[in-house]
Amino acid sequence: MTEGISTTRLRVLFALFAIATLLLSLRVGYWQTIGRSALLEGATDQLRSEVVTLAQRGVIRDRTGAILATTVDLRSLYAIPKRIPDHAAAAAKLAPVLATPAATIRAALDSGAEWLYLKRRLPEPVAKAVEALAIPGLGFEPEPKRLYPNEALAAHLLGFVNDDGIGQYGVEGAYDKILRGVPGRLVVERDPKDRELALGLRTAVPPKNGADLVLTIDLVVQTAIERELRRAVEREKLTSGSIVVVDPRDGAVLGLASWPTFDPARVAVADPEALRDRAVSWAFEPGSTMKAVTIAAGIDQHVVTPTTTYEDKGYAVIGGRRLNNAQGKVYGTTTVTQILERSANAGAVFVASRLGQDPLYQYLRAFGFGDATGVDLAAEASGAVRPLAQWYPVDVGTIAFGQGIAVTPLQVAMAYAAIANGGTLYRPRVVAATRDADGEHRTAPVAVRSPITPDTADTLRTMLVSTVDRGIAHGASLAGYSVAGKTGTAQIPSGDGRYVDDAYISSFAGFVPANDPRFVVVIVLERPQTKLLGTVTAMDTFHDLALDMLRNARLQPDRP
Amino acid sequence: MTVAQAVRAAPVRRPFPTRSRHAHATARPRSAGTTWEVRTFVIVSTAICAVFLLVVLYLVQATTVATRGYDAQRLESVRDELRRQNALLEVESARLDSPARIEVEARRLGLVRAAAVLVVQLEPIAAKR
Repeated sequence: MTEGISTTRLRVLFALFAIATLLLSLRVGYWQTIGRSALLEGATDQLRSEVVTLAQRGVIRDRTGAILATTVDLRSLYAIPKRIPDHAAAAAKLAPVLATPAATIRAALDSGAEWLYLKRRLPEPVAKAVEALAIPGLGFEPEPKRLYPNEALAAHLLGFVNDDGIGQYGVEGAYDKILRGVPGRLVVERDPKDRELALGLRTAVPPKNGADLVLTIDLVVQTAIERELRRAVEREKLTSGSIVVVDPRDGAVLGLASWPTFDPARVAVADPEALRDRAVSWAFEPGSTMKAVTIAAGIDQHVVTPTTTYEDKGYAVIGGRRLNNAQGKVYGTTTVTQILERSANAGAVFVASRLGQDPLYQYLRAFGFGDATGVDLAAEASGAVRPLAQWYPVDVGTIAFGQGIAVTPLQVAMAYAAIANGGTLYRPRVVAATRDADGEHRTAPVAVRSPITPDTADTLRTMLVSTVDRGIAHGASLAGYSVAGKTGTAQIPSGDGRYVDDAYISSFAGFVPANDPRFVVVIVLERPQTKLLGTVTAMDTFHDLALDMLRNARLQPDRP
Repeated sequence: MTVAQAVRAAPVRRPFPTRSRHAHATARPRSAGTTWEVRTFVIVSTAICAVFLLVVLYLVQATTVATRGYDAQRLESVRDELRRQNALLEVESARLDSPARIEVEARRLGLVRAAAVLVVQLEPIAAKR
């Protein structure tokens, strides 16, 4: 057969084969050497996947272990429209389950997107209902969601977590780094069905989950606080309000609430003003609750005693200005104890005048006014105590009964806690312990300083009990329990340096049982509709709240 | 020599020694040659079988590992789902235990707050005993 083929043709054919072989060899050589990495990279990209494994955000619990906030993976519904045979039918089936108009779902499916979320983080029953529909082209993807089982309870205290998983406000904001943890990394090889290859590469840096937080908050106390605050708001049509309860023995915050409030699960629709935690970030003029501090300073400096008297004419003149008692009342001969019982402004001016500007200023600062308390919550205000150099002569009188000074409800609570516990000012704290892989780490109480001696504190306690038993704060008395406390009514400063007409802030600060204080309560109500009688509502609120807390704490009555 | 060569070459290389004039004196008995052939065949066959078995063993092991791997993955997702369900149940339990919810429910059932709480002093009773 080969006789018919010429040698030349054979040579050409051979040459062609040789060239082709050479070219192929060169190409193969190229891919094995120079182009190897590109090939490897392409193959690896198809085979290997690298994912960030999210760390589990820590759980927040109250002091008894009840869950206040936790993170759970909820299922998000996605669609691959090309795989859904009948968009209209699918939309019609999904509409009642997702509580979304069919037209909206249809529009999403017809949008031309290859892949899209139909609804994210579905509640579990809804996800199950969608699953039962068995519509082809739909799937689920887990996404973490912060859940608050008590809904809006303790919203200001807890704060919230935004869509990026970052904690904002409250404990979520202040402890975000600890709660968030550190994400991990996972590199695996997968088969075409996206399953992990059993014999494939697998390198993993495990995520470090966030630590759990145990708060000093008592869920029962917090519930009672919010219930009573809501009642006061409804009764007095308040524009805002706040209640703080602390344990005077160590500065632990047992409960804290503000109005207006918000639902942490629906922050997007919340009024920005409602996000403000007034208990720690609202500075207001305290009014007569400050008289206890002025008199504590006077007694501690031995310039007055509980039985020291002065002649009350219904007013006091200081710095050329006349400062009147509330409603112009004239009390005649009055003891220092009666100054508190009657809430006499002129009496507070009398004590402050004996004390002098500088000591009064030093005591205000020693009680923590003008400085942030250092509570472990985000966005705390420091209030305002003007430097002594900026005081006018009249200021020593007005500040003595709580005007010309701005404080936060939490600052007032801590000052009264110092009186209640024998003279120690504690740093308030909200987190009792953190729990991580290494175990539980408890936070120790921090005693900041002692603004007054135990004797002074004891004397003040007796005077404040007298104020409740026989004085202006009688509405706060409780059958079977000794109560110490003081009311406060303050005018509201306006933008032009004057006071707003006929608008007040009513407050009550006290502690119970006075003989062995367990709860310090501060109630602040802004613009009550009963005007000057707002303190009655504040005392009623204290009464109901204290009764609830004492029952819950199983405290024996300390009085017959 | 490779195994394949050995198998293929065996018939060619069968040891039929050329008979010499002194064959009667030096010739090995026929049974010895046969034994060598058989031995070679057995060795080669055994080697082939062993290699085959090894390959099969490897494949079985690889398949088993892969299957177990997929099983492990399936079990991991079952575990994750159970954990998720557990977390959801914990949330539901916390929601049901919420004092605020219990208060509302109690009010709905017509319960009212006790007007007064009677405190029993234990000490005098204990003293009387």
